[in-house]
Amino acid sequence: MNKYTATLLSLILTSFLFAQDEAVEEAEKDSLYFFFEPEELTIEVGDSARVRITLVNQNGENVENPFYIYGRRRAITTSPRLSDSSGVAMVTVKAFKPGSHELSARSITKKREDRVRGTMPVEIPYPPLKSVTFVDPAETIYEGTTVSFKTVVHDEAGLVRKDAVVTLLSGEPRVADFDPFGNLSAKFKGRITVEASVENITATHTLRIVSNPVRGMSLSSPEEDARTGDVIQFSATPLTRSGKAVSDVPVKYSWTGVAEYGIGLPANAQVTQAGKFVAETAGIYTVRATTGGFTASKSVKVIPREVKSEMELVGHGLVPSVATSDLWVWPGIGKYAGKDFAVTGTWGANGDAYFWDVTDPSNIVPIDTITVDARTVNDVKVSEDGKVCVITREGASNRKNGIVILDVSDPYNVEILSEFNDDLTGGVHNVFVYQNHVFAVNNGRKFDIINIENPREPVRVSVFELKTPGHSIHDVWVVDGIAYSSNWTDGVQMVDVGGLPFIERNLPMIQSNPLLQVAGKGNFRNPISITYKEDQTGRNHAAFPFLSQSTGKFHVIAGDEWFPFGGSDAEAVGNISNPRGGYHFIDMTDIHNPEEVALYQVPEAGSHNLWVQGDTLYTAYYQGGLRVVDISGELLGDIYKQGREIAFFHGYSPDGYIPNAPNAWGPQPYKGLVYFSDMNSGLYAVRFVDKEKKETD
Amino acid sequence: MRRLKRRINVLFLLTIFLISPSLGRDYYIYATAESEDEVALVRFDGKKIHVEKRIPVGVWPIEIEGPHGINVSPDGEYWYLSMAHGIPFGHLYKYRTGSDELVDRVELGLFPATLQVSPATGLLYVVNFNLHGGHDEVSTVSIVDPEEMVEIDRVETGIMPHGSRLLNNGLKHYSVAMMSAKLYELDAMRMEITRTLSTGKHEMKKMGGMKHKMGDHSMPKEKPTWVYPHPNDKFLYVVNNGTDEVVEVDVERWVITRRFQTEKGPYNCEVSRDGKKLVVTYKSVAKTAVWDIDSGKELAKIKNTRKVTHGVVISPDSKFAFVSVEGIGSEPGSVDVIDLSSLKLVDQADIGKQAGGIAFWKMEN
Repeated sequence: MNKYTATLLSLILTSFLFAQDEAVEEAEKDSLYFFFEPEELTIEVGDSARVRITLVNQNGENVENPFYIYGRRRAITTSPRLSDSSGVAMVTVKAFKPGSHELSARSITKKREDRVRGTMPVEIPYPPLKSVTFVDPAETIYEGTTVSFKTVVHDEAGLVRKDAVVTLLSGEPRVADFDPFGNLSAKFKGRITVEASVENITATHTLRIVSNPVRGMSLSSPEEDARTGDVIQFSATPLTRSGKAVSDVPVKYSWTGVAEYGIGLPANAQVTQAGKFVAETAGIYTVRATTGGFTASKSVKVIPREVKSEMELVGHGLVPSVATSDLWVWPGIGKYAGKDFAVTGTWGANGDAYFWDVTDPSNIVPIDTITVDARTVNDVKVSEDGKVCVITREGASNRKNGIVILDVSDPYNVEILSEFNDDLTGGVHNVFVYQNHVFAVNNGRKFDIINIENPREPVRVSVFELKTPGHSIHDVWVVDGIAYSSNWTDGVQMVDVGGLPFIERNLPMIQSNPLLQVAGKGNFRNPISITYKEDQTGRNHAAFPFLSQSTGKFHVIAGDEWFPFGGSDAEAVGNISNPRGGYHFIDMTDIHNPEEVALYQVPEAGSHNLWVQGDTLYTAYYQGGLRVVDISGELLGDIYKQGREIAFFHGYSPDGYIPNAPNAWGPQPYKGLVYFSDMNSGLYAVRFVDKEKKETD
Repeated sequence: MRRLKRRINVLFLLTIFLISPSLGRDYYIYATAESEDEVALVRFDGKKIHVEKRIPVGVWPIEIEGPHGINVSPDGEYWYLSMAHGIPFGHLYKYRTGSDELVDRVELGLFPATLQVSPATGLLYVVNFNLHGGHDEVSTVSIVDPEEMVEIDRVETGIMPHGSRLLNNGLKHYSVAMMSAKLYELDAMRMEITRTLSTGKHEMKKMGGMKHKMGDHSMPKEKPTWVYPHPNDKFLYVVNNGTDEVVEVDVERWVITRRFQTEKGPYNCEVSRDGKKLVVTYKSVAKTAVWDIDSGKELAKIKNTRKVTHGVVISPDSKFAFVSVEGIGSEPGSVDVIDLSSLKLVDQADIGKQAGGIAFWKMEN
């Protein structure tokens, strides 16, 4: 369309727009409708089709009125998108995204209520399926055993199609047959072909069913007694008639149990097909191992874990007028050596960070306030040497946000050393300080690494940003030269920023942490991704590395943030936020296949920040308060139900920002106490109750 | 004496007659509080302003999502709100006026900002400001079907597009991109950019037009933040925040015809419906200025009640300007009311923190 034609068309439409209302009124807009030819459309991705759209009245007569033609962006395109004044358009529809879509037409009128809308279904099928493949199928199976078969389906575009429903069929159901879940039960000896089919595509696999040499079974475990939450490794050994072990026969584990209770929870446990057993409730449990009709069983006694304790308040620094955010507690230096201090941020308020003397935790005293141009100081972190504190800014009146670097060597007289907001204007939500570098979560998109060796002149040295579509980041935590960032749907990302130097002192740490074994190629100037664990739920909010002191196993604990009732749809408006969520224990033994093995999830509260010290997990659980959890030993299953929770503490105050409403934000164990910040009431120091002393008293 | 009394009575009655239309009239305005995740509905009764309602907006209880742009549909039935932050993309929300119930929302680009529904096309046009996206990323105008809340297209414009408005006839959409220092004309019907105009005194060098990346981009000094059409649709007023001026653009000739030198940091502007006055917010000096359009003279500068003057909307009867003023830190935002006859501040109402977008809903007698 040249400029002259375009201008002419615009003029015609413009003049028509103001003249056509009468025409529409005459034709009575209620009786108008769009007539699509064809009535519906099915086109492949990348293909085009022609559609004739006519605006007609009740008598089927063409009404001369212009209209728009469009579909959802990135799904279909239309050309033209605007009819002329004839009320008829020949439209080319091009398909881009598989799914059920609509082609819309809407008349152009001055008054909204006069507008007529019509839609036509446009079905864009997914690309045709190309192949179905068995994944590592068994070549030989033993008579009387059951083996699971897996398949994978690809389409013409090369994508894995999880939506495809594969049917598995046995060529000889009498010999071996599938259940609806892909498990093939071998009944008799023979050679059979199994078939996987989806739509008109099939794959076949031939296997042998051979005589099962198993004539007996033994089952052992190193323990016969355990506490709830303790993992017992059972070992099943199928045996031949002569008592020889058969190693390649599949064994199925199962359990039954009888709870020890009068009124209480029933027996509940879990056993994996690798023979790991864990019970949630006390009782007598019998684990069975079965193959080819032979079963062995062994019973174990499970007793309550008995880790319950109580926490008591030591001190409280009340923040009555604003919402509190994160905290950091650190030992004083120089003339303040021997004293202890804390800093807390504020949320949705005046841009304050509060400094506290917590040397006597029963008497937490506010000692200084730093106010910056911000509404939220979401995060506060202090350097390892106790000299520098970094606070984040969001909601600055000049919209420049960024971070502010403070001298906290004298916590009674905190001084602003510098501000850094270059390319951090979108707001810094979280930071971490590690070896004179600040890791700053930048605008929810990436993290920047900023050198603060000279804290008066911070310098950005690098940026780490994912390449995934619509990526977003919430938090970053750095330990031993590895940055653990939390990225909602992109999950926990583990990034090499230098690792640990390969020296004698570090060897035990390097040997026990599979990530450290491959780290060292990256550095502050060149952060390199090591691996990641996606989170399909999109809730990944915080992460903390955890090297189990009792097992030597390395995990990453991935925390959720989830507001299922606060909601993004119209129905949820006005609901209280009522968060939910939990902490996922990711076993990092195979760094390329991180595996979630356990979950700690308080059923009716919302997970937020966490800290691990030794084999104890400290979590801030929003309305659930502070939670302390025993994570010693091997971890498997639902940790909450296993009675591993040691204690909880609800911080609240009648004088709080929201009175008497616990809303724990973040914990930090420190010198035998646990400090935590509560959004509604400030800073708390709590400790475990000394039971002996209590009983003596 | 009797004659004098009679004259006083006549004068009194005349005064009442003159001011009564606005005294008996209620003006309803929606204003956003960007750091509160809240929209306030305020009512001005001709003398006093009242906060009728504070409407919480957004979906994340402990993240500030940043309600930024707001506007009311031409028929007054709905109000639309852009929310700057998401994970990571912002959203457009649709609410019913009066009941203020949420109807629907649709995800857009990064930091969606100013928006308006065209009375001609019925479509909604909203710029994706991408405020924090760096100074080399060309952004877009999203075009949304506000009935179905479906985004139907994005049209590329410049770097950090902020202010945007349609001609009164709804046929052309204008937006200014701060870091491109350009005014963009979009044909609202054909959804295509038809013309661009540098808002500076000279064409910027090294400007790559519609390219995706502008590697060696040099930051323009004009930083245009707002554009508003004259009621006659013949002129546009563009606020050059960086060079402290408002420029008048002849729509037909597509040239800058006048430059109004302002105080530091002009930000938003609006022209009164009678076409006589141009009201400009001076963000950096916390003032609002009223200009006489014909003479090009600044009539008055009114000190605002907070420190960061933001947006302005003028009542359709051209009597009052309602100005959103941000404040700093925990200070509440404010809606200041300026009488465009006396050129004085009449009243103010505290709303949530960082008052920003402001839109006129209705007048009622």
